[in-house]
Amino acid sequence: MTPADLQPASFATYPALAQAFAIKHLALLRELPMSVCPSFLVQIIAFDTRFPVERETLEWQCASLESMEAQRRASLLNPLQAIALPEELKRTNWVRSPGVFVEQLTASLWSSGQINAFHTASKALFEAIPERTDTTDRLLLIVLGQGANVSRPSLMRKLARQGIRLEGIDAASAKTQIMAEVSDRAKRMPASYAHWYMDGGTAWDVPASFDPVVSTSYEQLAPLRRYVLAKMKSILQSGQSGAEQMRTRLSEMPTQGSISARVNPDPVLQRFYTELFTEGSGTQIFSTSFVQWAGRELARRAQPTTLLLRYGPRQRHRGLNEMVEEPDSMTPDPEGSLVDAEMNAFYNWIAMKRITAPGRLTTLAWAEGSSRAVLISAGTKPNTISNRPLTISQALRAKYV
Amino acid sequence: MFRRSILPQQIAASRREFLRGAIGSLSASTVCSGFAAPLSAAVQPSQKTIVVTFGGGARDEETFAEEGQENIPNLLHRLLPQGTFFTQVRNGGILGHYVATASIVTGVYERFNNFIAQPPPNPTLFEYYRRALKRPVTDTWVIAPSNGFQKIGGSSNARFGPQYGAGVILPKRLLSTAMQNTSPGADLQHLLQDNYEMPEYQVLSTSQDRELHLEALESTLRLSVADFVKHAQTLDSADELSLFITRRLMDQQAPSLMMLTLHDMDVAHSGAYSLYIDAIRRADRLCAELWQAVQTHPEYRDRTTVYIMPDFGRDADDDPSGNGFQHHRTGSDMARTTWLLAMGPHIRQNVVVERPIESIDLVPTVGCRLGFSTDTPGRCIEELR
Repeated sequence: MTPADLQPASFATYPALAQAFAIKHLALLRELPMSVCPSFLVQIIAFDTRFPVERETLEWQCASLESMEAQRRASLLNPLQAIALPEELKRTNWVRSPGVFVEQLTASLWSSGQINAFHTASKALFEAIPERTDTTDRLLLIVLGQGANVSRPSLMRKLARQGIRLEGIDAASAKTQIMAEVSDRAKRMPASYAHWYMDGGTAWDVPASFDPVVSTSYEQLAPLRRYVLAKMKSILQSGQSGAEQMRTRLSEMPTQGSISARVNPDPVLQRFYTELFTEGSGTQIFSTSFVQWAGRELARRAQPTTLLLRYGPRQRHRGLNEMVEEPDSMTPDPEGSLVDAEMNAFYNWIAMKRITAPGRLTTLAWAEGSSRAVLISAGTKPNTISNRPLTISQALRAKYV
Repeated sequence: MFRRSILPQQIAASRREFLRGAIGSLSASTVCSGFAAPLSAAVQPSQKTIVVTFGGGARDEETFAEEGQENIPNLLHRLLPQGTFFTQVRNGGILGHYVATASIVTGVYERFNNFIAQPPPNPTLFEYYRRALKRPVTDTWVIAPSNGFQKIGGSSNARFGPQYGAGVILPKRLLSTAMQNTSPGADLQHLLQDNYEMPEYQVLSTSQDRELHLEALESTLRLSVADFVKHAQTLDSADELSLFITRRLMDQQAPSLMMLTLHDMDVAHSGAYSLYIDAIRRADRLCAELWQAVQTHPEYRDRTTVYIMPDFGRDADDDPSGNGFQHHRTGSDMARTTWLLAMGPHIRQNVVVERPIESIDLVPTVGCRLGFSTDTPGRCIEELR
């Protein structure tokens, strides 16, 4: 079967919204080359449990391609049409299991030396889609350094290079003001899945009126994490656990079920939380990797207006099998976790910057329990320092032009 | 949505600028884009060669770029001034560690499944060497920390094949077996760490087996199983164990051609930046220890060329299709570009070469240096001839 053979009945097994979306855009799907059509189906098949902004983005991408002049669209799709695929890959049931197809496609592209041609062609295709206008003012708050020595001058140097070091933060009020900031923004700009708090350990107590902030923690998601680890262990013991095998088999895990229902009743969150562990690398064993990946995926998928990420100490490093079998070491590594979190915070800033219009992102990273923070905003002068005594609230409203 | 990644030329430029500042004795005239004449044209038959690869990929940011310098004090200040450094080594093949390392030793970009341990289809450096120079099996060894590398010593090529292959030692597998035999419960899990990306390998069943098994430990390395385990207990990582085995081989067999792959840094796949940095620092120290061992060993001193080269880089921080240092999946220039440091009696010292070379150039380079031909698409690196 090729994309040109797709019929409405091809999507009979898809959930309701996904089926309707696929049928609505059937003409486009039929036109897409085999090398890229299943990637669209990966997005479509999970449509019912995607974040609202993901649905809007997919609709925007499809509508943009449909409204494009036919000749231009063809010129963009031709290089993807030229990608040669193995016959056995073409024979897979890529409509029903597009994720498995994409995993195998990736391996095929590497082994056939076509990976660069594919990247170039797919990049050109998506760059041809006009960007949606977005003037959202976003706030990224990061808390790190719990239990570690945060006094060294180079603390958060990658972030500090982009903004101003604040050395006079009032530590006593910082936590309360950070939570209040998140809560206030959620009240002022209410929207589903727009305001988030993700904690790498045991979450701070949230105010009673925290809604509509979505908040969760590594600890709260432990049942889901252990469930995925058990699956990883069985894959490891099967003796057929190359990286691709592992990824494919984890991606096949259902995102809804009794375990995910235990951590949250919302199917959209069940999918998101499950995929943090099935698609993330290291998220199952290191809380620092979990927080970074959660921040990255939230930026890419939910595009939050407010995002609070708190890094806690991850477990100390042990052998992989040991960490899979006994995931909850009682021995933390706060100093190593701080180094992890510094880099990860930088990545979180990059991810949020990518989805925000220029000048609309404010980032504040605070070394927990200390007077030290870094602020990056439209007004901050890169690579500067202020020793002025400030609360978190004052820092967020100060102008550092 | 996508951003252009740094071009190799820019990478080279940033490295060069940094190196100028880092090495006080480096003059502008030694930073060349062409090649320098060799110090000595004569090839001594007793020459020895050690290839060290980093199977984990190391980025500029954590090595030769300005912020990375603190992680590689030995490579930068002790070793680089003693050798010729190539700033642009491009890997045009598959960016998976086994297949990339196999490509380095065959001189051909191999296309097989990275996650199935199998002999490379093209002849390896060891086979060319042993057949051409009629060297015995004890003269070539591979020391690799990862399961899956057990088939890398010899190819499935009918013109060569197992009879010319190198012996392969997987120290972690040896230790794992030794622990089952001698020390149940010994706390050595940290030495048995396999990288997060490929926790277990499928091993393709073949008739060839050049892997050193535990029963041959004593006859090959003059090391009892009990002493092996006892020494392992003093070490911190798998790479340290690999260096221990390498030095033991040097003492007991004095092979002429060895390859050592250091793999600790691939812990980056777990997303823990501190562990990745620790592993780079360890690799830096182990390279210096190996060079020191070469310089003080009567069988190796003044006759050994050491090549140090990561198999490739890792993804760029701002590449939206990757996740920074964690993986090497984008195929971008940053992930494909790495460096090579060569040191030895005939290698010019304190020289930086900016022109691009490829990772598959290493096999023909060793061949032309030692006087045997290789049927590979790569080219002998003129600056090292």
